[in-house]
Amino acid sequence: MKFANTRQAMAWLHTWLGLIFGFVLMICFFFGALSVFDREIDRWAIPDTRFDPQPMPSFDNVLIDVFNRTEPDIAEYNRLMPVYHDSAAGDITPRTELPADEYWAYTTHRDPVLLMGIGFRVPKPLNTKEHNHIHGRATIDPRSGEELPSNSLKIGSDWFYPLHYSLNLNWNFIGFYIVGIAAFFMLVALVSGVWIHRKIFREFFTFRREKKTQRATLDLHNMSGVVALPFHFFFALTGLIIFAAFYYLPVTNTMLKPLHDMHETMEANATGLPHQRLGITAQIASVDDMVTEAKRRWAARDMAGEVGFLMVHHVGDANSYVSIYRAGSDRVSLVGEGIHFKSSNGEVLREDPPHSTAKSIAEFLTGLHLQHFEHWFLRWLYVLGGLLGCVCIATGFIFFTEKRKQQHAKNNSQGSRIVDAFAITTVTGIIIAAVSMLVANRILPADLANKGDWEKWIFCIALSFSFLHATLRSSPVVRGEKNPAWREQCFIITALAITAVTANWLTTGDHLIKTIFTTPYWAVAGVDLSLLAVAATSWKAAARLQSESIEKEQSSSEAAYE
Amino acid sequence: MNNSTVWLIPAIILMLVAMGWLALSLPGHWKQVRSGKPASRRLRLAGWSAIVLSALCCLKADHATMAVLVWLMLMAAAAASVGMILSMRPRMLKWLSLGIFAEEFRR
Repeated sequence: MKFANTRQAMAWLHTWLGLIFGFVLMICFFFGALSVFDREIDRWAIPDTRFDPQPMPSFDNVLIDVFNRTEPDIAEYNRLMPVYHDSAAGDITPRTELPADEYWAYTTHRDPVLLMGIGFRVPKPLNTKEHNHIHGRATIDPRSGEELPSNSLKIGSDWFYPLHYSLNLNWNFIGFYIVGIAAFFMLVALVSGVWIHRKIFREFFTFRREKKTQRATLDLHNMSGVVALPFHFFFALTGLIIFAAFYYLPVTNTMLKPLHDMHETMEANATGLPHQRLGITAQIASVDDMVTEAKRRWAARDMAGEVGFLMVHHVGDANSYVSIYRAGSDRVSLVGEGIHFKSSNGEVLREDPPHSTAKSIAEFLTGLHLQHFEHWFLRWLYVLGGLLGCVCIATGFIFFTEKRKQQHAKNNSQGSRIVDAFAITTVTGIIIAAVSMLVANRILPADLANKGDWEKWIFCIALSFSFLHATLRSSPVVRGEKNPAWREQCFIITALAITAVTANWLTTGDHLIKTIFTTPYWAVAGVDLSLLAVAATSWKAAARLQSESIEKEQSSSEAAYE
Repeated sequence: MNNSTVWLIPAIILMLVAMGWLALSLPGHWKQVRSGKPASRRLRLAGWSAIVLSALCCLKADHATMAVLVWLMLMAAAAASVGMILSMRPRMLKWLSLGIFAEEFRR
């Protein structure tokens, strides 16, 4: 590759990296924007949980019973037990007889339901140095301690949210790596994009919609990229930082493993929090008293707050301790001011000290991405930032094909036809998939076995449908014209979004007048209103594309008469 | 809405006005709104001052770490809004093109 100057090289880089990784980034930005309101989408999808957020319930009266009856996950047991168990030491322990090693419970200011988990230990492990945990999970109504039906899927926090960082491709963490690489090249595309942009300040506010598609699209691409540049940059960067230590550069668990293990032991010594079980059985004292004491200590430090995360380590052992963390809803940084208690007598073992500057910066950066704070206005601004990212990527695709399709038509090349079909799948297709999933959620019977899996399948089928449709309808692109699938899929989105709102009303009785005025419930009202906004926008886009194509037909038929 | 949250309202308005002035400081956009030429330096000064004032309002509303994020995101939202207004209904910004911001005024 030879370039006349740096700018040309940068343009090449921007074009091709943007194109290849744009398809992935589109999913990250769109479903990332939806994840800002993941809990609210959960409420919409699971009508039984449409009640107000609850504080952490009593451990002694509610949580302990749930922990006692929760079993290890069947699939995880079948997958991991043969790996962890030392068959030379004796028979494999049956699933329901695994002893618990740790308990945790987690809630936020937006959660009516409580998420709980157990790490079960393997009594005869092959590798005694590892934790060897097999997990069990439960989501409960904190008011009654009753478990949510297991067939319901939290569409927001268990499908859209992981989709934006893992594409829900969990085999060997392949999705995490694809997203990580895409995020890295997003940073490259941002830098090269700024480099090749001739008039950043002079065209900062410029969108000439009356110009022809190629020019207007480039204007919109530049504007959506530049005005939200800090957002795009920091979200790609912090997204990488959050996963860096776990997946992308796991040196502490691979190359530096001995150092890592030594650090764990030293930390245990320094903090006085036992690293291992002692092997002596012990009872647990009242955790509710520990919670009261933790709240008193936070209040004394002028940071009164609720419990966000509670964890019991080494359950049932003399070395057991309880860690209680504060819900960080009033700040950006993701810190918990953890206070740790000895389980057997409730004595305070340790209070986490304030963090060093480096640690605080890291916590600010991860906190600004994970947004545990309570700030509804900023949440909406984040949605806007995410959608501006989508606009930027989508207009990038359109500019790519607009610039090339006449040339490709002359050379009889299929290039822009293929790119255009992929663009349709990742622009209108992902919206169709997301809304289809919501429609399916409301239409499928509530007691259907594995209802959540059906919903996932419908998401995938809808996305494949969009791709097939876009491909089958793509022949006009070869003649340098628009693919009618853009317009048709916009109509489909409109129909689906209206169906979703109507189905919500019919199946739950929660219509907008009720959720906004008579008994306000903003989580559901917000999802409904957003769906209506989507319906209106896609209707407008479809109508515009329709009138354009009719005009074109008329002018070409007039030309034929002359 | 608690007491300090009210400060977000002036923060939003100031940021929109600021972005409007910065846009009008560019002759091309000024021409979309009214005839003549803009007093660009004066408009830019006004625009940046409004951005700073908006930052102060954000600081009144929230803890500093949160305020930084609100302020940056508000900038993006306001800039995009002004861009779209200039594209669809530029004359909505006429009230920002006060006489003192026109070039003739200086002479």
